[in-house]
Amino acid sequence: MYFIPIFPEIFLFLWAILIFVVDFFLKEDKRKNLGYLSLLGILITIILLFFSAQGEMFGKVYSYDSLSLFFKLVFLLSAFLAISVSIDFVAKFRAFKGEFFGLILFSTVGMMLLSSARELIFLYVSLELVTIPLYVLAAYLKPDKKSAEAGLKYMLLGAISSAILLYGISLIYGITGTTFLLGIKTRLMVDYLQIGPIGPGLFLSFIFFIAGFGFKLALVPFHMWAPDVYEGAPTPITAFLSVGSKAAGLVAFLRVFFESFSVYNPDWVTIVAVLAALSMIIGNIIALPQTNIKRMLAYSSIAQVGYILVGLVALSERGVSSVAFYTLAYLFANLGAFVVAIAFELQTGSSEIKDYSGLSISSPTLSFLMMLFLLSLVGIPPLAGFVGKYYLFAAAIEKHLIWLVVIAVLTSVISLYYYVGVIKEMYFNKKEGGEKIFLPFGIKLALLICIIGVLLVGLFPNPFLNLASQAATVFKY
Amino acid sequence: MSEYILTLLVFVPIAGALLLLLVNKEKGGLIKSFAFVIALINFILSLYLYFNFVPENGFQFEVNQSWVQSLGINYHLGIDGISLFLVLLTTFLSSLAILSSWSAIQEKVKGYMVTMLFLEAGMIGVFVSLDLFLFYVFWEGMLIPMYFLIGIWGGPRKIYATIKFILFTMLGSIFMLVAILVLYFMNYNYTGEYSFDLLKILQLPIPFGAQFWLFLAFALAFAIKVPMFPFHTWLPDAHVEAPTAGSVLLAGVLLKMGTYGFLRFCLPLFPNAFMNFVPLFSILAIIGIIYGALVSTMQKDIKSLVAFSSVSHLGFVMLGLFALNMQGISGGILQMINHGISTGALFLIVGMIYERRHTRLIEEYGGIARVVPVFATFLIIVTLSSIGLPGTNGFVGEFLILLGAFKSKTVYAVLGAVGIILAAVYMLWMIQRVLFQEIKKEENKNLLDLNLREKITLIPIVLLIFWIGIYPQSFLSKIEPAVKNMLEYVNYKSEQMSSCEKKFDEICEAKDEPAGYVKFELRRCTEESVLNLR
Amino acid sequence: MPSLYHYLSLSALLFCIGIFGALTRRNAIGILMAIELLFNAVNINFVAFARFIDPQAIVGQVFTIFVITIAAAEAAVGLAIIILIYRQHKGVDVDKVNIMKW
Repeated sequence: MYFIPIFPEIFLFLWAILIFVVDFFLKEDKRKNLGYLSLLGILITIILLFFSAQGEMFGKVYSYDSLSLFFKLVFLLSAFLAISVSIDFVAKFRAFKGEFFGLILFSTVGMMLLSSARELIFLYVSLELVTIPLYVLAAYLKPDKKSAEAGLKYMLLGAISSAILLYGISLIYGITGTTFLLGIKTRLMVDYLQIGPIGPGLFLSFIFFIAGFGFKLALVPFHMWAPDVYEGAPTPITAFLSVGSKAAGLVAFLRVFFESFSVYNPDWVTIVAVLAALSMIIGNIIALPQTNIKRMLAYSSIAQVGYILVGLVALSERGVSSVAFYTLAYLFANLGAFVVAIAFELQTGSSEIKDYSGLSISSPTLSFLMMLFLLSLVGIPPLAGFVGKYYLFAAAIEKHLIWLVVIAVLTSVISLYYYVGVIKEMYFNKKEGGEKIFLPFGIKLALLICIIGVLLVGLFPNPFLNLASQAATVFKY
Repeated sequence: MSEYILTLLVFVPIAGALLLLLVNKEKGGLIKSFAFVIALINFILSLYLYFNFVPENGFQFEVNQSWVQSLGINYHLGIDGISLFLVLLTTFLSSLAILSSWSAIQEKVKGYMVTMLFLEAGMIGVFVSLDLFLFYVFWEGMLIPMYFLIGIWGGPRKIYATIKFILFTMLGSIFMLVAILVLYFMNYNYTGEYSFDLLKILQLPIPFGAQFWLFLAFALAFAIKVPMFPFHTWLPDAHVEAPTAGSVLLAGVLLKMGTYGFLRFCLPLFPNAFMNFVPLFSILAIIGIIYGALVSTMQKDIKSLVAFSSVSHLGFVMLGLFALNMQGISGGILQMINHGISTGALFLIVGMIYERRHTRLIEEYGGIARVVPVFATFLIIVTLSSIGLPGTNGFVGEFLILLGAFKSKTVYAVLGAVGIILAAVYMLWMIQRVLFQEIKKEENKNLLDLNLREKITLIPIVLLIFWIGIYPQSFLSKIEPAVKNMLEYVNYKSEQMSSCEKKFDEICEAKDEPAGYVKFELRRCTEESVLNLR
Repeated sequence: MPSLYHYLSLSALLFCIGIFGALTRRNAIGILMAIELLFNAVNINFVAFARFIDPQAIVGQVFTIFVITIAAAEAAVGLAIIILIYRQHKGVDVDKVNIMKW
């Protein structure tokens, strides 16, 4: 028996409301269990994904296909990890524990809907469903001035970016008279055959789309919010932002540009390629002098988006599948690094890199895992990040984008320096007497998932590659 | 057995390292013995290769399993006469390196042994992989254990040294990654099959222009590893700061990966480019020989003296390889092994004396031959082998290399010979200042001579030094057929490619089109009509 | 009778004013108001296009209603955060809210 395609989203949405409701009836000290309840909801949703029929709903507004399946798994996984690490984090709050989990679930529902959106109104509403809860979550640590500042900056820039995106949408609507992605494509094709090259209105709307999505992806030059928000927000939310929210922006980008704007590929792809190169260069170079691990990971994630886009601008099936695959590899490694940072912060209250010195003596396992995550982010074999980067570069080289790959590999070497800087602190700087980092259950679970992911995707990438290449069959190239 | 032996060689150390993780870290003795036993087992396993190797057969002990099917990545292992002795050298030196760190390593013993075993697995993996992807995995993966080996157990400037090491090597190898991917798609365009298999990619007719760039990308990675003259600056730092065992493996095995890479990948894949680059690389090699020797002469620290002498010795190997004839290449391969043995032994000996005095400055010693006669004997034998005295291994290798160089261009051989003279100068001068003269320092009067474990470490090396020196045929007979095959193939392929390019140019001229703009299809047709490579 | 271009020019003008305001204002409430201008520029666009390009369909109008609704939600969240800032800093000047590098 199969459920209707949108059933998992409906289920998770109701579950989120359930969390809010249960929150009222629980005593203060029991509210921690809401985290476990949310985890259960996510697990059930993952199972439901496989028991829901693939297909279209509401007249092609919503479609559940292999691409959205892949990204929905990515979103649910990152939400799962974010929630499981926040359980002990949230226990420190005086009030509002339930909302924290509920809001993450709402945002996840938004991401899932976004990955299936094939109509611009629906896409816009889902995008807002993703970001509005995140504005709240970023400002969640109420007494902390940094957190409020992060919330303000995220909210203001996020609103501006969605207004810019909307302006682009309105132009596209004006040019084509429709908001359906497929309709836009047909109309643009006709225009292309009748009128020929791209007009200024269309070009402007491409730019607005790129800018709008660029904000979500924290792509240079739309990245300036990311470091501050990442540093100020509660760390589990930072982790969620850096993976879930990025992947959501990415899938929307893929849908719109590959489905609707494919007629004018050469016009927009150059812009994206240049932005990808800038992201890799600027993200990696500014990451070098950072002293705060969250800020460092923020800049590194800006650079990582650059790598992901290297696969995207290849404009091929291999390219899209490498984008999907790398997102998965990036998820495990990046979230893993954040989980370690959270565990460290929970105990010591610090996220400065210099405080990590001597960690290998007090907590050898934790520092070993951190090392693997960081090396996977660099792309050292045989970890997940290596296979991912290899695949991305392969896609780009197939399309003769050698210049972009050369930039990518050179910046990878730069990135080695700051990732290895953390390893250096942990292993080479001897500082005796550091206390052992205590790992609560939620964090242990998250670490376990991340490390299995990093090793499995690196050593036995076959099933994941198949899933990713299936996801890429959605588009015509 | 012969299908599994290479897999075993790679995975026995990994399995050993994983088992070691389970042992309580307080039990240092157990950990050391266990690691040594694993390394020894691996060495014994690798002897199987030596006894069952058939020189005429090309690649042997092959395994070829699909690993990542959708990308055409195979788990393809195999060795020929070129890699056989490098594998043996790796297992041999790894065992000795572990034995040598028995008393030198006091802290974090478990981490150290795990790192050593992973390093061994990675090094063997590099020499036995016949799939470019797999090769790259081992090549890069091996950096991490070395990084930790220097960074945790190294000397005072270890952090600077290790980061310099990892950045240099990564910078070089990352371009190789790009080149490997380009080859991968060339292979696909030509055969319609996605594959990283070296043996398949070897058949590719690669146009001259592409050969040039791909050769440079590969050569940069290997030249940094060797290290060739302008890229050598990471080496002295890494060597001086690394713990003894790290230096032994770094000099003994890691550097050989560079020269091995030139021989295994650059030469047969891009023969025309390789031949065009012969003058440049030969000159760089000679500069390396003379520069390394001169700088060695000036060193105050014994270990950095040995490190710079490596630059010089590896210059010889490169000179041999780029002579592109039978004697040069066989000599180069033999010299790789000789250098592994002699320089490895020198580092071991320096490490032994350092453990006693905690200094490596030459001026701190003097006249200790009378106090520690056994030590002095070993040091003299190894030094003489390093200089290349007849009867020792170094002589055979250097002689063959100079012979090869002489055949290719007399000037190279003459300049190379200058390096040998300089080697005698700095080595013998060092011996004189350390072992002979008056005993100036009070501390040196009560030095302890080598203990049993240390003697056991050095005796096999001395035996090998004389074995190769007196009866090199037992080695050369296995190396030479492989070199012969390689050279024949390279000559054949380069000639075919040249005639192919010529014909292609003719067609372009006839069509009045510049070569760069002609369709790929045309190039392919020309190639197919001219070449019969597969 | 104003044509489509009049409406589009108006909306473009509003959009520019909004962007200018959002980037130059120092007061957080001011920025929020500028953002509302941006949304309204978009709304004018949608309604104008719906009227002139695609008279039978109502997609433009529907989109406008969605945008208005979501803008309201966004403003609510925004104001809540601004109140939080006000409590901490006793003011809503964004230049003062700058513990981290902007």
